[in-house]
Amino acid sequence: MVLINIIMVFISFGLSSAHSQELPKFLTKHSLDTIRYISIDGRYAYVKKGPGVLGLVSSFRSIDFLSDAQTSDFMVKGSRAKRKLLVEIIPAVHGEYDFYKLHKIMAMDWGNSNPKEVGLGISSKLHLEDEWVSYYHPVEKILTLQNLITQKKFTIQLQAKMNPFFRPEVDMVTSDTVLYTDINEQGYAALISYNLLTQKNAIIYKAPQTATRIELCSMPNYVAIGEFPYEGVSRGSKILYLKTSQGMNLAGYTSAYTSLDEDLGNIVCTQKGVFFIKTMSQDKKLSLKVTEVVLLQPDTGKIEARTSLKHVTQLLEMDGRILIPDRGEYYVLEGRSNISDDVLKSITPTKTEELPLEL
Amino acid sequence: MKMWPPFLPSRYSKFLASTVLTAGLCFSFFASAQTVTTPNPTSANTLAPSNKPVISPITTPATVSYPGIIETFEKIITVDNDKFNNRSKDLTKNGRTFTDATAVTALDLEPDFLNSIILHSDPSYLKLASMAKCRFYDTILTDLLKSAEGKIKNVLVTYIDGKGNRQSSIMARKDFLTKVVNLECPETQKLINLFQVKYLDATMKDVPFEIPAGREQCQTVHLNWLTNPKTPFLCQIHEYLDQAKKGLGDPADLEQRKAVAKVLDQKITPVQKDYLQNICKHLDDEDLFCQEFLNVSFWNKISGGMEDKIYAQGICGYVMGASEPTDPQVRQCLARVNKESDLCLYPTAKNRGLTPQMNCESLSLALNYSSLRSNYLDCPAGSDQLALTNLSRLLLNFSRSEIKPFGGSCASISAGEAYEFNEKFDNDESWKLEACYDDTLNEKEVCQKIFFGSYLNNPASFTTVVATILKNMRGAETTTQCKMVSSKDFNPQILEFRTGCFIVYDPARCFMSQCKHKIYYNDRPIDFIKIKNRVTMDYFPTSLQGERFSQNYLLTHDYKKTGKSLSNVSNMVNYFKKSKGGLIHGVGCVEGLLPSFFKVQSFGQCTPTPFIIDGIIRENDKVVFVTRTAIDSLQAPRLVSWSNIFSAVRSYQRYHPLKLWTLYGID
Repeated sequence: MVLINIIMVFISFGLSSAHSQELPKFLTKHSLDTIRYISIDGRYAYVKKGPGVLGLVSSFRSIDFLSDAQTSDFMVKGSRAKRKLLVEIIPAVHGEYDFYKLHKIMAMDWGNSNPKEVGLGISSKLHLEDEWVSYYHPVEKILTLQNLITQKKFTIQLQAKMNPFFRPEVDMVTSDTVLYTDINEQGYAALISYNLLTQKNAIIYKAPQTATRIELCSMPNYVAIGEFPYEGVSRGSKILYLKTSQGMNLAGYTSAYTSLDEDLGNIVCTQKGVFFIKTMSQDKKLSLKVTEVVLLQPDTGKIEARTSLKHVTQLLEMDGRILIPDRGEYYVLEGRSNISDDVLKSITPTKTEELPLEL
Repeated sequence: MKMWPPFLPSRYSKFLASTVLTAGLCFSFFASAQTVTTPNPTSANTLAPSNKPVISPITTPATVSYPGIIETFEKIITVDNDKFNNRSKDLTKNGRTFTDATAVTALDLEPDFLNSIILHSDPSYLKLASMAKCRFYDTILTDLLKSAEGKIKNVLVTYIDGKGNRQSSIMARKDFLTKVVNLECPETQKLINLFQVKYLDATMKDVPFEIPAGREQCQTVHLNWLTNPKTPFLCQIHEYLDQAKKGLGDPADLEQRKAVAKVLDQKITPVQKDYLQNICKHLDDEDLFCQEFLNVSFWNKISGGMEDKIYAQGICGYVMGASEPTDPQVRQCLARVNKESDLCLYPTAKNRGLTPQMNCESLSLALNYSSLRSNYLDCPAGSDQLALTNLSRLLLNFSRSEIKPFGGSCASISAGEAYEFNEKFDNDESWKLEACYDDTLNEKEVCQKIFFGSYLNNPASFTTVVATILKNMRGAETTTQCKMVSSKDFNPQILEFRTGCFIVYDPARCFMSQCKHKIYYNDRPIDFIKIKNRVTMDYFPTSLQGERFSQNYLLTHDYKKTGKSLSNVSNMVNYFKKSKGGLIHGVGCVEGLLPSFFKVQSFGQCTPTPFIIDGIIRENDKVVFVTRTAIDSLQAPRLVSWSNIFSAVRSYQRYHPLKLWTLYGID
């Protein structure tokens, strides 16, 4: 009986940490050094073809569609809506070490190669079914929201004086309401709601302590607001949960997670829950941490460890695939890890497969 | 003539001598102190009926007297005192006074005299004495070593006389100096002169009171003190001042000694006194010596004057609400900083880098182990070319040259130093930022290389270039000089700004290679000067053809610094152990170095950021590095793990056109 109990303990321990196994590396037929964006099934890949050249490689074709100075590089970002992609052209990557450098921001149709210039800034992001784009000017501290269809622009002036290298988090919850983060003169972070029509703002959440940062992510039915400390600062962590399915009462958030640990955060919202990087143990004197990715169920507050890498620092979602960049490699947490096969897939009758032909 | 005593007073000699003496004495005391009752001879060995002798058990003695450890040592000291006194009297009585060192051979100190020294002297000074023969003599002469008579007034020696007989003699201390020490150690007399009161100021200026940053450096510093011939004399001063202050020593001359101590006190700063107290007390214990530097709060060191108050100025400016806090304000602030760890997070805007900084406790630990020169401000938030910020930090650290007067943002210091470095090694062609104007007379465009701001009279300072253009184009006087003035300070209504040349810049929008500004000359705007290009520099080479023009190449080939690629923790640990004053520099993705500040938003994202590692903290098997990225304030390093550093450099390697590993030791 005792032996059975011991065996059961080991089995249950194994189950609870079933996901805490060695994660598979991300394998594609393209070199990881050149990929800037790749779809969940690997059929569409935006790759850096050469110095200053961005190309699209799909099942049907390969085309170099964007060319800039040889010293430029690119960032390609998408969203869950999969209607548009943003390209940020970064000038003089290896010769200008400048955190205030402005990137040329272009938008194009998802899976296509027809970029159109949007503006100059950094930290660009798509919102609301890819109809809106936001970007930030780090010197002027201006957040710009632009409608990609009407081209109408709105600008919001941030304070952000305490940290010259501050980057705000932005999320548009409706076509006239945008949530963004800012820090005041004393170093307190806040989540602010701004109405584009009335041009009035309201503080949704203000951090009770200085030296924390607020993160945002959202799904169609909820918004998650994370508050995490910066490195070398003793603060706790929390994640707030705002259900948006029953109306947009931004003040009606609840606490989904609270901890005294100095978690890294980097929250990613999915249907399964909220992934974030949690500190499992820490040497406070030397600021050394053991960090893993965990999955939080916001409704129940249940947390499940998903990695056993001991040193996770970043989390990235790309077209539904969740990746962990670590030491130059990419590990796959969610989604298929091996998309290096070259087999053409047949067109399914339920989906309209677009033939990206340019006439 | 051999003078080195046969019994070397090594580190363990006191222990060994004490053990041997204690054992011997204990045995003798045991033998004499124990009282044992003699068993009744008639009862012992009584024959049992079986004819075997019956030996009765040993009975417990009625009284027992065993000496304890203290009593044992007291007796040892008493025995030694008696021995020494008797020997001295004996030698003096028999006329065995040493006169001529040249007529004898094998001159040594008597073993009993050496034992006496070991028994009565401070282990710290015994350690110093054991380093070299001349050090041993100096510690006798400076009264650091003691014998049974307290201060050594007489020296007991043995020698082989002209007839080949081993003799013993007593020698007055003065004679010991003139007849033995001056012959064997001529340096000693020079040192005695150097430490005369009239020459003490000059002597103290040459003494290096080095504050170590790190365990390895501390070990080197400690060893340097042990081998420094001036150490016995410095410790003599420390002991003299200490005794006078406490009223110890001979009461007859106490007042006189206090008067001398008062004079000496003025010639040594409080910082030097504390330092001397630490080293003289811990010459035999490197760990305790180092603890004063590495385990003490950095803020206490600033309070005590051991560290520059520039480290606290930004923090205290914010805490006290003053842009330039006064000394009393800084003291008040430092007292708070030790207790309230969050006060260090946000310094004043003057020299702001990436914020929040670490909390006061972590920052103190990092600064205790930091060795990068940080006694100036370089405004990383004002830099739009962090390669130059990082480069100038290295250059100013190695050169230790004075910071030249500058105008505009303090980022001009980095721009000026980097420009001069590139110009010196014929790489100014790579500097593309130019100020241009149309020379209508010659019908051509004239361009000159610039950096925004001014740095002494550097010809590429924007102020100097604008003045030259005004002289050429507007007939300005040859003595015309332009000044950088912040838009917050500029007021055209004031007479001061009505005449002359002023470059009015927006401090929030003025960086090294781009600057929102307006030029006024004699109250008129000047708008024909155009700025072209930007400062673009390869920190590490990005192409084979361009290798010669990268900053790292210039550092290692032209500036002649040794560069060594480091790829694992062991390399880095060994590098800090072996290198003196060396640093580690590199370029890595900031998303790996500082993940809580910068999130990865897209696949393959990497923001290359130069950084410098200038210290290492090891506890058991854990290692963390004292690191400054180019966006961190010079006075606010961070503790970064090897995982983060490796991740950042490895990610950058994948991103780099030549796949270079960009982490190098440089010394």
